[in-house]
Amino acid sequence: MRNFSVLVLILWMVSCNVKQEPIEVSAEELHSAVDRVTNIMVHDIFSPPVASRIYAYPNIAAYEIMALNNEGYNSLSGQVRDLSPIPKPEAEKAINYSLAALIAHMDVSRRLIFTEEMIEVFRDSLYGVWEGQNSKEFNESKEYGLRVAEHIASWMDKDNYKQTRTMPKFTVDTDNPGRWQPTPPAYMDGIEPHWNKIRPFVIDSADQFKPVPPPPFSMEEGSDFYKEVKEVYDISNEITEKGDTSEEIEIAQFWDCNPYVSVTRGHLMFATKKITPGAHWIGITKIACRKTNSSFDDALYAYTKASIAMADAFISCWDEKYRSNLIRPETLINEHFNDNWKPILQTPPFPEYTSGHSVVSGAAATTLTNIFGDNFAFDDDTELRYGLPVRSFNSFNEAADEAAISRMYGGIHYRTAVEVGVKQGRDLGKFVLENLNMTKETIVATK
Amino acid sequence: MNKFIALFCLVMVLISCSGDGELFHNPDASETGIDFKNVLTPREDLNILDYLYFYNGGGTAIGDINGDGLPDIYLAGNQVKNKLYLNKGNLEFEDITEQAGVAGNSSWNTGAIMGDVNGDGLLDIYVCAVVGIKGFSGYNELFINNGDNTFTESAARYGLDFDSYSSSAAFLDYDLDGDLDLYLLNHAVHTEESYGRANLRYKRNYETGDKLLRNDGESFTDVSEEAGIFGGIIGYGLGVAVSDFNQDGYPDIYVGNDFHEDDYYYLNNGDGTFTESLKKFFGHTTRFSMGNDVADVNHDGWPDLISLDMLPEEEEILKTSEGDDNVQTQRMRIDRFGYHYQFSRNMLQLNRPGSFYAETALQSGIAASDWSWSALFADYDQDGEQDLFISNGIPKRPNDLDYIRFVSSEEIRSKINNTRLVDQDALEMMPSGAVHNYYFRGKGASFENLSETMLRKDTLVSGATAYADLDLDGDLDLVTNNLNREASLYINQTNNKANYLKIKFNYPGPNKFGIGTKVFSYHKGLLQYKELYPVRGFQASSEPIIHFGYGQTDVVDSLKIVWPDGTFQVVKNAKVNQTLKLSPENTLKFDYASLLPQQGNRFKQVTDNLGIDYEHVEDNYVDFNRQKLIPYQISDRGPAVASGDLNGDGKDDLYFGGSKYHSAQIYLQTDTAFVSSSYPELVRDSVIEEISAVIEDFNSDGKKDLFLGTGGGDFFGQSTRLLDRLFIQGESGFNQAQVPEYFEHAAVIKPHDIDGDGDLDLFVGNYTRTNDFGAIPPSYLLRNEGGVFQIVDNLSLQKLGLVTDAYWADLDNDQKEELIVVGEWMAPRFFKNDKGSLTEVELLEQEISGLWQAVIPNDIDGDGDLDLILGNWGNNNKFRASQSNPLKMYYGDFDSNGSTETIIAIPKDGKYYPLESLEGLSQQIVSLRKKFTTFRSMAGKSVEEILDKKTLKEASLFQVSELRSGILMNNEGKFSFTPFGQELQVAPITSFVSYDFDQDGKEEVLAGGNYFGVKPYHGRFGSFSGAMIAGENDVILGHEMGMDFSQKAVRHLHIIHMNDQPYILVTFNNGKAEVYQWLN
Repeated sequence: MRNFSVLVLILWMVSCNVKQEPIEVSAEELHSAVDRVTNIMVHDIFSPPVASRIYAYPNIAAYEIMALNNEGYNSLSGQVRDLSPIPKPEAEKAINYSLAALIAHMDVSRRLIFTEEMIEVFRDSLYGVWEGQNSKEFNESKEYGLRVAEHIASWMDKDNYKQTRTMPKFTVDTDNPGRWQPTPPAYMDGIEPHWNKIRPFVIDSADQFKPVPPPPFSMEEGSDFYKEVKEVYDISNEITEKGDTSEEIEIAQFWDCNPYVSVTRGHLMFATKKITPGAHWIGITKIACRKTNSSFDDALYAYTKASIAMADAFISCWDEKYRSNLIRPETLINEHFNDNWKPILQTPPFPEYTSGHSVVSGAAATTLTNIFGDNFAFDDDTELRYGLPVRSFNSFNEAADEAAISRMYGGIHYRTAVEVGVKQGRDLGKFVLENLNMTKETIVATK
Repeated sequence: MNKFIALFCLVMVLISCSGDGELFHNPDASETGIDFKNVLTPREDLNILDYLYFYNGGGTAIGDINGDGLPDIYLAGNQVKNKLYLNKGNLEFEDITEQAGVAGNSSWNTGAIMGDVNGDGLLDIYVCAVVGIKGFSGYNELFINNGDNTFTESAARYGLDFDSYSSSAAFLDYDLDGDLDLYLLNHAVHTEESYGRANLRYKRNYETGDKLLRNDGESFTDVSEEAGIFGGIIGYGLGVAVSDFNQDGYPDIYVGNDFHEDDYYYLNNGDGTFTESLKKFFGHTTRFSMGNDVADVNHDGWPDLISLDMLPEEEEILKTSEGDDNVQTQRMRIDRFGYHYQFSRNMLQLNRPGSFYAETALQSGIAASDWSWSALFADYDQDGEQDLFISNGIPKRPNDLDYIRFVSSEEIRSKINNTRLVDQDALEMMPSGAVHNYYFRGKGASFENLSETMLRKDTLVSGATAYADLDLDGDLDLVTNNLNREASLYINQTNNKANYLKIKFNYPGPNKFGIGTKVFSYHKGLLQYKELYPVRGFQASSEPIIHFGYGQTDVVDSLKIVWPDGTFQVVKNAKVNQTLKLSPENTLKFDYASLLPQQGNRFKQVTDNLGIDYEHVEDNYVDFNRQKLIPYQISDRGPAVASGDLNGDGKDDLYFGGSKYHSAQIYLQTDTAFVSSSYPELVRDSVIEEISAVIEDFNSDGKKDLFLGTGGGDFFGQSTRLLDRLFIQGESGFNQAQVPEYFEHAAVIKPHDIDGDGDLDLFVGNYTRTNDFGAIPPSYLLRNEGGVFQIVDNLSLQKLGLVTDAYWADLDNDQKEELIVVGEWMAPRFFKNDKGSLTEVELLEQEISGLWQAVIPNDIDGDGDLDLILGNWGNNNKFRASQSNPLKMYYGDFDSNGSTETIIAIPKDGKYYPLESLEGLSQQIVSLRKKFTTFRSMAGKSVEEILDKKTLKEASLFQVSELRSGILMNNEGKFSFTPFGQELQVAPITSFVSYDFDQDGKEEVLAGGNYFGVKPYHGRFGSFSGAMIAGENDVILGHEMGMDFSQKAVRHLHIIHMNDQPYILVTFNNGKAEVYQWLN
């Protein structure tokens, strides 16, 4: 047995010595790495705000390496909060920047997710291939990639995430009828009540895009708020009557993006897990990259910009959620209209206002429009894996508008949360674009 | 070689097969002829996903159907045909199903019971069915016994042919008209995804609602509505027990409901109606209520109740199973939806006439028996004590956390989305829940788990169980109906090793078997009490006999038989080891009042409460939201109470401290009452939580001043709300005066002139620091110099511990008082006063660290020196501690984020396990999610394996070696600990007062307790009704003397005087203060 492994080793070394070809890292490998993170997040069950953070940091790590070597792109250091320039590679080293970037991406991802094994399997198989292709180039790039990952990680560790883990749980206010209450079936605690304390990337503060307050709570018939509750109930009844194949229900389900839908049948419990809203837009980014045959570098740019905008969007949205601490339609409809009513989508475990999917979709669509242009038509097959069909859109903005209204069809948001939310996201997205100077002028012009 | 191995294997198999338990022998089906096997055949459209009670199993009914004296066995199958086995003697049975015509026609049978419906003296069989879901057809069938081993199905004729979702049924004569009525137990299938309000139970629903059916001779009439029986869509009825719980002669009913619906406790009003009274008599119940049983386990003549749930015993299963609600979800279910407190573990409810049941399953050792179906109390070993058999198991554990979180999604996602079905492959991935059945040997209300030795270790999934003396050897055998395996016979091997008595009744009228007859048996001063209700356990009925065990006693002094009509007769000097056949003879009217406790009330609540209308209101603050891993709350230890003459009129007044948003209140004593009075200068800040208050004259000006100790988990750091305060009374009222600045939570303030200068100095005992539970806050000695307090430097007081109470008392008769300090996670500590400086002295004979709550000196043994009465946490909770295996608490910053946390570890089989699950721990220590990516990977791991050794080493370790309350006996200056009996360990004891209540010249100690600031994991500690302690073994409980503190959290007991008359003032956390007077 021992002899055998020695033999394998020798053979392998021989083969290494034989072909020392340059290592090619394509955009597809970046897409797989990002997909991998998405899948691990589904497995580990990260909530939407936490997921947005997990996308941003690996992308930035990789982007910073790429920008060193691509004159078309500017470093983010000095542009996103507290990021200092990454260490430079030693001059004599033959660094493959794309390779180093991808390695940094995987390493920062590994630190962020729970089940490291799932990323290690993926990583080690790539490492094996690269080692075989060009051991020197691989090892020098790897050493550098990991060094940058360490740099990014120490920056990342100071964003208050760790501290927010042990901050107080959200205390439900049971005495105030307008305040958020845990919702069926799991009646989970409100998640991430301190997300506004996470260091933002580009926006000045969590409340910079503080939306107008929702209509004042009142269940008096005829009040603005009452009308909003009634509207959710009416729409739900209307489209339920039309049946599961109605456009509205298809839209609601397509954009559900709930990472943990818990299902209870008697004592039997299970969960159906899906990607988060952020992950859906990361998926759309990939579609756009592929459609434009974007290079590794250009794809990385798109991922990075979109994920930064979305991470800030979640900070902004969550700030408002626990400020207005608004009750969900499900609680009120059960209480006032119909105690058997269930929303088409499962109500996620946090306050209603504003709609997270709307804010993040607004921010993401604004960013992607900036990168890929308006009227960029695409077929969105992101949710195929989760048993949902392909939907086609004429533009990112059209998709964002549909994502926003889907929350009303789904019975989990009022109209104001959706309309104000998507605007909040777009305003924030614009701000991010104005304040991030990632590309040299010439390149922007061609986009 | 191969032959050899095969032979060896065969031998091994034979050995393991014949591995009988010491008490029960399990004969093979081939020997007995009982080959009934409840085979479940799941289909794509019929499995646990489609029908929530797919695994509940069939029924078991035992009784002598042909009058040959041998009990026969009827077993009902879910999808297979039911079978009736005739007992031929010698444990041989004949399948006579075909000839008898009792195979049944329903698609899905459930419970089966026997009873004489038509009053002909022959046992009929009623078989329940689930009809109307998943295409199940049929109806509940009633097989009327023709007396010739054949039966005629007659459900329709009697109006009992229900086609609904029936679990089981019970015969009882609720209106005492002489015939048997029927309680039909149905189960809901309503989605429990959302709770819905508790008032859904008032809206009747045919399929799911329970029914009370009155026997009107020819047929049964549904009287549910007029009788006050709930029949709603949320009644997940799985257990029903009939007993005269309140001993008024009329049978009452306890219904166990699964899931969020409360159990129902129907008290029979005697006029054909019932009053559901659960919340009035039960502090909490099982959550996933399954089967239940009733027996008098503690020999007081009152029926006690066990209700089963599904708490696993094994660490590995416990930590991979879905646990209890969190605090907020529990609150919502109770406050918003109107349900009662329910916790997921077995509950033993000890009957206390006129009061709440005392729930003692944790103390009694029977809280955890995993996925449990049937409980049957009986004296299996015939030693005069009730033992307990619990059947359990589930083919697949649907509440496995890894399955829920990680496995299910990948496997069933697409299936669910496309077809809303789960296929077999996905179900196969759930872990098996085939856990061995349980046997507990009883001694009063204490039980010892002897499953390993008394039973064969099985992997059966056993449900409906019934007992009977199948082999006529006098002891009780058992039959379990199993899933996918032959039914099991448990043949009792007690045989002639201990004595027994079996009693059968021949009662006039249609109730020939005398259902509802009670027997009080007395031997050697021991009372045993039984009622004849054969329906018990789960979906089953047992042989309709009364059975008692007597150990080696040959003659039973007397048997008092109380017949259903309320008359009784006495059988004296009955010989054991026989079957008595009794009919009413020379009966007299039975006086049920004679069963009530004899000592009578000693105290009575004063009707106008002496004018005191104080109610302490605790805010909704949840400590666990902030410090997620602390063992209990710290914010709910108020209010402060002090008595003293505030206005100088010679009468003691009362100060009740404030709680958040509720100002302090002052009651001045007049000639006739206490009157609420306004002292605006004292109550300016209404946000402070006051824990301890002292009214004394600190500046020696003849006017009383006020010292207030504050706390409250809502305030932290250097919050001024945490500063203790002093108010000096001057000419124009109270003025706030300077006190040293410190921010700890006060627990107790005890004045004493330590330096002999004539003014009162103070010991300030501090409990904790907000957001840093486990840190030891300094306690202080404050020296009084003319009304100005200064901290006296004292190193040992700085490190005293988590102080809860203190007392100055002269323990060594040197005419100088020592300071005694008690607290949590520490042993009592003693300080001698040497001219104003305190020096610690070691007076304990043995280190006894506890969760001490209160201390009071009293010469309990009357030997002339002061002993110390100590209130502790009690042993009716999930903490475990002993001298050799103490409870542990690690305190440190485990996640290196700058804030501390505590990890509680309990000893179990020599290892220490964290009390919290991965879910709980990782809420605070997120890095554990990286270390343990599945629940299984952490389950069964010790705390040392979970947190690395280095981290644990760096943490501070606190230990508790004694959880019981008791007495520190003073043996010439050295103190040794004697714990109180079990009845004083049911809840924390939090307060004492010593007074000569009976004017015998010696003071007794009155004790109060209970505490609710724990996570649902522990439940609620509300079963202590209070106690008068006159001696080590001279204890009267509160509910027996007219002063019942059950389900209320006592914080203080004071003796107050009005017009020279003493009264007891009781102050509660989150409740209204009460005043009691003596009865002469």
